[in-house]
Amino acid sequence: MKRNLMTIVIGAVLIVIFALLLFVFQVRRSEVAVVTTFGKPTRNLTEPGAYGKWPWPVEKVYKFDQRVQNFEDRFSQNLTADNNNLLVMVYVGWKISDAKAFFPKFAGGSTVAAQNMLESMLRSAKSAVVGRHPLADFVNADAKQLKFDAIESEIEQAVQSQLQTNNCGIEIAFLGIKKLGLPENVTETVFQRMTSERQILISQFQYEGEAEAQKIKSAADRQAAETIANADAAATRIRGEGEAAAARVLPVFQQNPELANFLLRISALQQSLNQRATLIFDERTPPFDLFQHLPTNAPSR
Amino acid sequence: MERNVQKNGLVNLVAAVMIFIAAFVVTSYVHSLAGQACAIFLGLGVLVAFAGWFQMRLEENERLEKLEFEELARARGETTLFAAKDAEIFPAQRARAQFEKFFVPGLGVLLFLLEAGAAWLLWRWISKADNGIVSDRAMKSLSLFGILALLLFLLGRFSVTIARLENHRLLRPSASFLLAGAYICFVTALGIAGTRAEFPRVDFYVARALCLLLGLMAAEMLLTLLLEIYRPRLKGKIARPIYDSRLVGLLAQPESLFTTAAQALDYQFGFKVSDTWFFQLLQQNLPVLLLAQLAVLFLSTGVVFIDAGEQAVLERFGRPVGVLEPGAHLKLPWPADRIYLYHTDQIQIFDVGFTPDAQSEQAKTILWSVSHTKEENFLVGNREPVAIKNENADTNDTLKAPPVSLITVSIPVQFQITNVLAWAYTNAEPANLLQDLATREVVHYLAGVDLNDVMSHTRLEAAQELRSQIQAVVDEYHLGAKIIFVGLQDIHPPVKVAGDYEKVVGAEQTKLAKILDAQAMAIRTNALAGAQAFTTTNVADATRQRLTVSAFAHAALFTNQIPAFEAAPSVYRQRAYFRAFADATAGARKYILLVTNTQDVMIFDLEDKIREDLLNLNVPSSPNNSSP
Repeated sequence: MKRNLMTIVIGAVLIVIFALLLFVFQVRRSEVAVVTTFGKPTRNLTEPGAYGKWPWPVEKVYKFDQRVQNFEDRFSQNLTADNNNLLVMVYVGWKISDAKAFFPKFAGGSTVAAQNMLESMLRSAKSAVVGRHPLADFVNADAKQLKFDAIESEIEQAVQSQLQTNNCGIEIAFLGIKKLGLPENVTETVFQRMTSERQILISQFQYEGEAEAQKIKSAADRQAAETIANADAAATRIRGEGEAAAARVLPVFQQNPELANFLLRISALQQSLNQRATLIFDERTPPFDLFQHLPTNAPSR
Repeated sequence: MERNVQKNGLVNLVAAVMIFIAAFVVTSYVHSLAGQACAIFLGLGVLVAFAGWFQMRLEENERLEKLEFEELARARGETTLFAAKDAEIFPAQRARAQFEKFFVPGLGVLLFLLEAGAAWLLWRWISKADNGIVSDRAMKSLSLFGILALLLFLLGRFSVTIARLENHRLLRPSASFLLAGAYICFVTALGIAGTRAEFPRVDFYVARALCLLLGLMAAEMLLTLLLEIYRPRLKGKIARPIYDSRLVGLLAQPESLFTTAAQALDYQFGFKVSDTWFFQLLQQNLPVLLLAQLAVLFLSTGVVFIDAGEQAVLERFGRPVGVLEPGAHLKLPWPADRIYLYHTDQIQIFDVGFTPDAQSEQAKTILWSVSHTKEENFLVGNREPVAIKNENADTNDTLKAPPVSLITVSIPVQFQITNVLAWAYTNAEPANLLQDLATREVVHYLAGVDLNDVMSHTRLEAAQELRSQIQAVVDEYHLGAKIIFVGLQDIHPPVKVAGDYEKVVGAEQTKLAKILDAQAMAIRTNALAGAQAFTTTNVADATRQRLTVSAFAHAALFTNQIPAFEAAPSVYRQRAYFRAFADATAGARKYILLVTNTQDVMIFDLEDKIREDLLNLNVPSSPNNSSP
């Protein structure tokens, strides 16, 4: 009896759980649900809570995330209005605005299918909008010339209008350019140009340095020559002053010109013999004339 | 009766083969993951059914052989022959013994390998495979699996009942496989039905569960093989076939859980474990214990612990009813209340412009010219566009380089969740959106600045501006996050042209070096010139002084010489002459000719002689041309 009661309790609990799973479902705040009865949409639930339903195959519940969902398209090449190739990638935030309209259009409400459709629309709109703008609207050293916001707005409007026309139950919450780039061969030319610009700067620095150094050296040489010339002039002037001072005592020598001349010659003789000299005298030159009366060792004849 | 057992075994084998083929065809038709696992299980059942039937035949042959021998012995009145040459006289008995000794363990090993391999391969394959049930074939395949389940159930139930009879033990393995196969076919049908209904992952989960079952069967088979080695061999005790899985038996007859467990323990230990009080107690109260366990599990979902640094959104039937702070909280049990955890206090980081590379990040030095992460190139403005000739182009046309430059940036962005409800419910992937928004702001900012500006003087402003711009868009989209830090930590030209930028810096330094050299030389030249000028003027000053002083001295001397001269002019003159002569010629070389013959011609060689020591200098020989 006890075993039977236990079996009944366990069976009842299992039946209750099974029945709850079959007859009740929850909708989260982040979700929106569509209930179909024999395939026909009968309820659109946007408020969170627990709801009852008839089990499959009578009623079937489709739940969708009603929050904004993100995806980014591929980094695709486009031609700008001034014939520049530009790679652009955009990200899109989209949400299900009307679940009842959304789920039959995308194979039971497949978000992947919806994103595939969005991507094709997006690529078309992106190419069209990029083609209307020059490259300078995307990249410009003067930030005021950029038209980023306008370009994004144009792409968003183009996609939005297509979605509304087709009544897909989707709306675009936001759209932005995530990445800009250049094709590989164009990137190479940009690299070459950047290299050339650097080369110009290198040459500029190199020759500016040499020119500056040369100027400095020339100025220094000129200044040195000037200094030496001034010094030479001053020296000449000083020596002249010395000569003038020395000349003031000449009248003293005029008292006895004979003695003065004699002394000058003596002085000249002394100065001229200061250097290394070889002198040859004969016996008549004083004081060697003393040798005249000395006996010599000349050989006898 | 024995003949009937063999027939039952054969029927089981044939049924197992046919149903295996049917299940395989149906699962290939509908592409069911669970069906694949079910077909593998049924295939293993075919092997087991074959082994059971074959062993039945051997035992039947042995029984007939014994009957014939006993008949013959009675007719001859001899009894010693049987005892003497047992193996030679009873070939069927020997064949059965050999079968049990070698074939059965071999089959056990084979089953282990098949079960383990199938579990592992199937698990991996299921993980990679999409749920590809063909929806329009689901109903047909569901019905077919239902029919297969029904057939297997009827046949399996019948076989299980017969297998309980004495001497029908070899029918039990195949009967268990057939009955368990019935349940597995039923579960597979449920998986297909779930996919057809609103539970598309049911087929996947059923397949996973069947993989686990195969894995458990493999583990059981391995354990059985190991235990078989140590099992006590009691005389007269009939061995249980290794391929008779207790797990499959339990699956086929869950109500026999305790019977199976008791049999296993009794069989393994050699005494009646099932008679002990603990086993009896467990057998009587198991449902209560299981129910209590389930109740505890259910009630445990009513308590939640939030760790430090986390917040949780509490939902009641899908409706958010509050935010739980760190600590212990009570809530309604699952499925009424559910919580969703978020790391709100934790500073989270994502990177813009680069993908961290663990290997490159180990480098101690970061250079522009060496790639240290997986870097992206961003477009930046260029004030002075130059058209250059593309040397690599196939044509000779000049490719126009667009008036842009490329730059590489590494920008880590740190953020914190400040409003967990906004973070949870505004966007499906808020972290990804935040990264998209930050990247967009970086692209936008860089597109409007000059390369050289952003690399130099506007760098700090750029980081601050980016932070404020990213925060502004985060607020605009109500993401509930706060941008803590935006670092412009690495901003430089792409690696391919970074070397040229470094050369510019080098050239600038060279320029400065040349200027500094010239300035040093100018300082030297001017200093030397100044010194030379100073010397010149000083020498002139000295000369002037000497001339002046000397003139006055000579004048004074002359004044004093006049009286002496006037007193004895010739003597004074002669004295002065000889003094001067002696002083002047003291250092001179003098030749004095005492002429005795005035007609002699004397030749003097006044050429300076080279010093003898200079002539005798020894020139050291070079090491290269040294000669002996």
